[in-house]
Amino acid sequence: MNALEPDEPAAGKVLDARLHLLDRQVLDPDDVPVATLADLDLEVAEDGTVTIGAMLFGGVFLARLAGGRPPRSLMHKVPWRDVVEVDQTIHLSVGADGLDATWVERWVRDHVIGRIPGAGHAPE
Amino acid sequence: MKRLLGVALGILTAIGGFLDIGDLVTNAVVGSRFGLSLAWVVAVGVVGICVFASMSGRVAAVSGRATFEIIRERLGPRAAAANLGASFLINLLTLTAEVGGIALALQLASSVEPRLWIPVAAFAVWLVIWRVRFKIMENVTGLLGLCLIAFAVAVFLLGPDWSELAAQVMGQGLPEESTTVYWYYAIALFGAAMTPYEVFFFSSGAVEEGWTVKDLSQSRINVLVGFPLGGLLSVAIAACAAIVLLPQAIQVETLSQVVLPVAIGGGKLLLAFVIVGIVAATFGAALETALSSGYTIAQFFGWSWGKFRKPRAAARFHLTMIICLVVAVGVLMTGVDPVLVTEYSVVFSAVALPLTYLPILIVANDPQYMGEHVNSRVMNAVGSLYLGIILIAALAAIPLMVITGAGA
Repeated sequence: MNALEPDEPAAGKVLDARLHLLDRQVLDPDDVPVATLADLDLEVAEDGTVTIGAMLFGGVFLARLAGGRPPRSLMHKVPWRDVVEVDQTIHLSVGADGLDATWVERWVRDHVIGRIPGAGHAPE
Repeated sequence: MKRLLGVALGILTAIGGFLDIGDLVTNAVVGSRFGLSLAWVVAVGVVGICVFASMSGRVAAVSGRATFEIIRERLGPRAAAANLGASFLINLLTLTAEVGGIALALQLASSVEPRLWIPVAAFAVWLVIWRVRFKIMENVTGLLGLCLIAFAVAVFLLGPDWSELAAQVMGQGLPEESTTVYWYYAIALFGAAMTPYEVFFFSSGAVEEGWTVKDLSQSRINVLVGFPLGGLLSVAIAACAAIVLLPQAIQVETLSQVVLPVAIGGGKLLLAFVIVGIVAATFGAALETALSSGYTIAQFFGWSWGKFRKPRAAARFHLTMIICLVVAVGVLMTGVDPVLVTEYSVVFSAVALPLTYLPILIVANDPQYMGEHVNSRVMNAVGSLYLGIILIAALAAIPLMVITGAGA
């Protein structure tokens, strides 16, 4: 049996989805953390090329701890076209406040933390 | 001149910030039972915390990523979730011990029952997290913590037989204790010196203060000078107990016994100093553990975190810390003895150490993260050696706890 030939080196930046994308911190344009990337939605075109359709967030902790995956309907989607750059983090072109993935943050801010005096000032 | 002051301030803060309730209690307990025969463990632990604190600080400064973001990314969600569960619970246990420690220290100063002090102490901790800037918080508690030098002063005032102390370091002239109990306390002391929260706090603090590669030399000096001097204070606490308590076969069970040698050696004035030092050290550590609970959870889930943001802009981070403080107060109000909580927290810390330190060692070698600042060979050799020691201590901790009946 012949040994497998190594793949042709691809042009541009090569990203390993597991190593460079999954579980990476996602930041908005002001470097505010949005979430950690939980999963990817892949799209297969007719000619067989696979592209990333969207990033999925949320619901991972309890599901993965039990060994399963959260149902897709419970996860929040952000389209891949909103990504501007990938380095140690994934940078988005859209603000964290406009995303479904951060609704819990907004709820806690508006109903709990925001009501405590001094919440609107940075510590001095 | 300003730079020199900055270096001095950093070192002094590191010394004062090194000790917490775990170090205070464990060193006194060990000193009263084993003299200075376990002083070598403090030395081993201090070198270890120097290695890994500077490594996690370097990773944070170069990549801008704090430790738990890295743990999540490198271990994947499942292993990282298990790690988070363990680290978070032990951190909560340590937070409980520190808040209890503040209350006990305030009781020494005021004779007011600790259960009245516990809610006040926890509220004060929250208020500082809510309103005080990171740098000021660290410097004030660190500098006041320097009052713990009173333990070292007390050693000299007690006028001990130095040759006897030296013999104890070599393990001679001590009452019979079984080997398993000796090693159980060795692990407790090791866990107290290398508590995992210090690394979470140190790396997140580097992000809070916006460290860059330029700040690396300063941080290295802080750690390499400050922590060993803090370790010397640890040994001084053990020495105080070895001089006064060991000959009388008094076993340390309360905080008042920890400070008894200071009162005997230096009278009321020195006692006042040491109480201020203990309040500052436990208060500082309570801040660090409360923040660490927020840091670990927020970094795992990718939430917005940090004291440099307004609390509104890091809502879940602040809510996590509030819940942790409430839980700590709830546990303490049941009347559980904070000294006992401390003794368990240091041993469980030892169990959790490999979970924290392995991912740091891996990422510190990753050129995609670190560029030219990856670990040197010497650093890797020392880091790997310590990982081995940490692993053995972690595996041995629970069996030894069962065999010895938690060091009884």
